[in-house]
Amino acid sequence: MTDGAPERHPRILVIDDEEQIRRALKSVLQARHYEVDTASTAEDGIALTAERTPDLVILDLTLPGMSGFEACRQLRGWYEGPVLVLSVLSSDSDKIDALDLGADDYLTKPFSTGELLARIRALLRRASPSASPVTDIDVGDLHIDFARRVVMLRGESVRLTRIEFDILALLARNAGRVVTSSMLLEEVWGPEYVRDTQTLRVHISHLRKKIETPGDVPRFVLTEPGVGFRFADLEA
Amino acid sequence: MPLRRARPLTRLGPVQECYARHMMWRQQLSRGGGYPLAVGAVGIAALIFFPLRGVVSAPVVMLFFVPIIVAVARIAGTKPSATAAALAFLFLDLLYIPPYYRLTIASLPEWIGLMVFLVVALISGQQTGRLREREQAALRRQAELELLNRLTFRIASEYSLAATAEYVTGQLTVVGNARRVALYRPDGAGNARCVNSSGESEPATEEARFAEWVLTNDKAVGPEGPSAEPGEPRVVTVSQADALPGVTADAVYLPLQTVDGLEGVLVAQPVSPSGFGADESRLLISVANLTAAAFERERLADEAAHSQALRETDRMKTTLVSSVSHELKTPLAAATARVTGLVEEGSACDEARVRSELEAVSEDLARLDSSIGDLLDLSRLESDAWRPRLVAEDVSDILGTALSRLPRLHAARIRFDLSPDLPPVSADFAQLARAFVNLMENALAYAPADSSVLVSARSEDGAVRVVVEDRGPGVPDAEKARVFEKFFRGSASSSAPAGTGLGLAIATEIVRSHHGTLVVEDADPVGARFVMTLPTAGADSD
Repeated sequence: MTDGAPERHPRILVIDDEEQIRRALKSVLQARHYEVDTASTAEDGIALTAERTPDLVILDLTLPGMSGFEACRQLRGWYEGPVLVLSVLSSDSDKIDALDLGADDYLTKPFSTGELLARIRALLRRASPSASPVTDIDVGDLHIDFARRVVMLRGESVRLTRIEFDILALLARNAGRVVTSSMLLEEVWGPEYVRDTQTLRVHISHLRKKIETPGDVPRFVLTEPGVGFRFADLEA
Repeated sequence: MPLRRARPLTRLGPVQECYARHMMWRQQLSRGGGYPLAVGAVGIAALIFFPLRGVVSAPVVMLFFVPIIVAVARIAGTKPSATAAALAFLFLDLLYIPPYYRLTIASLPEWIGLMVFLVVALISGQQTGRLREREQAALRRQAELELLNRLTFRIASEYSLAATAEYVTGQLTVVGNARRVALYRPDGAGNARCVNSSGESEPATEEARFAEWVLTNDKAVGPEGPSAEPGEPRVVTVSQADALPGVTADAVYLPLQTVDGLEGVLVAQPVSPSGFGADESRLLISVANLTAAAFERERLADEAAHSQALRETDRMKTTLVSSVSHELKTPLAAATARVTGLVEEGSACDEARVRSELEAVSEDLARLDSSIGDLLDLSRLESDAWRPRLVAEDVSDILGTALSRLPRLHAARIRFDLSPDLPPVSADFAQLARAFVNLMENALAYAPADSSVLVSARSEDGAVRVVVEDRGPGVPDAEKARVFEKFFRGSASSSAPAGTGLGLAIATEIVRSHHGTLVVEDADPVGARFVMTLPTAGADSD
């Protein structure tokens, strides 16, 4: 927070039909100084979003009446903030569907509070309008300078191809957030490539060879099976 | 859902193959009842001989016409050949033998010759036609026998109901002179469901209604009522008009009867407008009976397998419920006790105590959650609902994702030693990650709290060997096999945090579905070493 400016606590809206989850999330989030509104149906949630303009919406997918998927689609029409989807559905296709409908990340119930807070922080960090665009980041031994398109590993410069750098940049700017394969393909190559996941995997594997430690598991670029990739969280 | 490969079409036997080809070829040539062929053949011959009028004598031309008429008989039957004979006679009389354009003939010898030609042509056509019919009947009889033989064989062997249905419809359209054949089965809700159909024509809109009527009334339905001629097989016992008044369709509906009841309905639509002949009807009845028997056998086999599976599931459930209720209730009871204790003490307890109690509760809940997850996974794996989708994957990539699923403090205790150029293995990413998580958690649970767990991977011929090694108490020889069983908790588990005893069982199931192996050895100097081998992508015979 910049000093001098009045501190504004981010406002989070929780849409979940289970009373227990709403209460638990409310107390956990309020303890971390978030303002919290809750709604028990998709319809109420959409109305509250319009009324209160929360900084982030936490949306359960299995709701009575209008489904979470439908709510997600409608919110994306006009709501600018990030949407974090909660689901008990651990199947890949549901995650993909929700992300394709515009959700920004997902958590599978049950989740730990630490995991939830990390996701919320990652989403808010990226969405905050006051934040100046990130020019460079440091994760462990890795230093990425977006402006000069330079990547340093343990002080040594790493030579990446244009495509490898673009992939790394997109993932790193969304650190801690899942980035679907189709998002990556669309951003790096263009919309006509959204089906060519094989090419993407080849480039990811080249990128890993250059920045990850040989003999160890990948630490920076992690695979989210069936969905996409996630860059290690900055606050790890 | 993986794409199902299209099944090959129904295979025909050699005789049926020959019969089908024969029929196709004949159908092509005898379109329009064979009359166009008769007119065409005689017409072409006439065009060839006409310019030779007055050069080649009439008897020579007559000699040429006889084989043409015989060929027409061979291909299209007796009536077209009689037509061809008549046309040839007219051509010779009117256009070839003077006086032209009149039926009268100048010289008596030529008149007699022409008459002899007509008689010879007609008789040889008739003979050849009859021969052809007998030949066809023999071929058909052979094809029918082959069909019945194969159906009988099917009754005694393991075939799926759908495959038999496909076979029957495919064969009957070829052998039984049917334009369309369909098989219906009762779906349990009183409706008839089409299992398979073949042939060229679309189902009549009323087909399902008639099939349902037959299922309810157990009587065969056809365009006309019972065939009354003595000695004829009685296919149809009820006319369509009586079954469903005002509804007409030209197909025959036969109930598939067995001793115990009805197995379905056979629908056959004849090619010829006059309906099925006596031979075809006899064949239909035999096929219907055999199909009924095959269907019954397959249904009973299915039911037997199903009830066997149910009994097995029941036994599993009993084991599950007893061990699970314990596994789920223990942490829940512990957490409840701690929380209610805190609530009762109210403000009397200090902050440090609240914190330590809450940490304990959170551990209880974590255990509860992992138990529920384990049970769900195991039931999905065992019911095959979680079939692996095997594609080429990178082991170190999967290990990385597995590591990120562990709590940070635990993840920090794991060391990796992966050989740099591991070939890809054929794996289902999410499932294999789960197996790795379980192996790592198991190792972390048994190893001393400050020790690290080593995960290494090497390539050996046609496989990748992943080893998870801890410095815990190890697994005694007597337990080395049992440690992978469901709910088995080794003698060392008293020192370890409680688990469901399902983690290794799940890992084993997953590795098995990946065509790999998982065993435990003694580590050097102490500890357990879990060794997993996975076939490299493209190396397994799948």
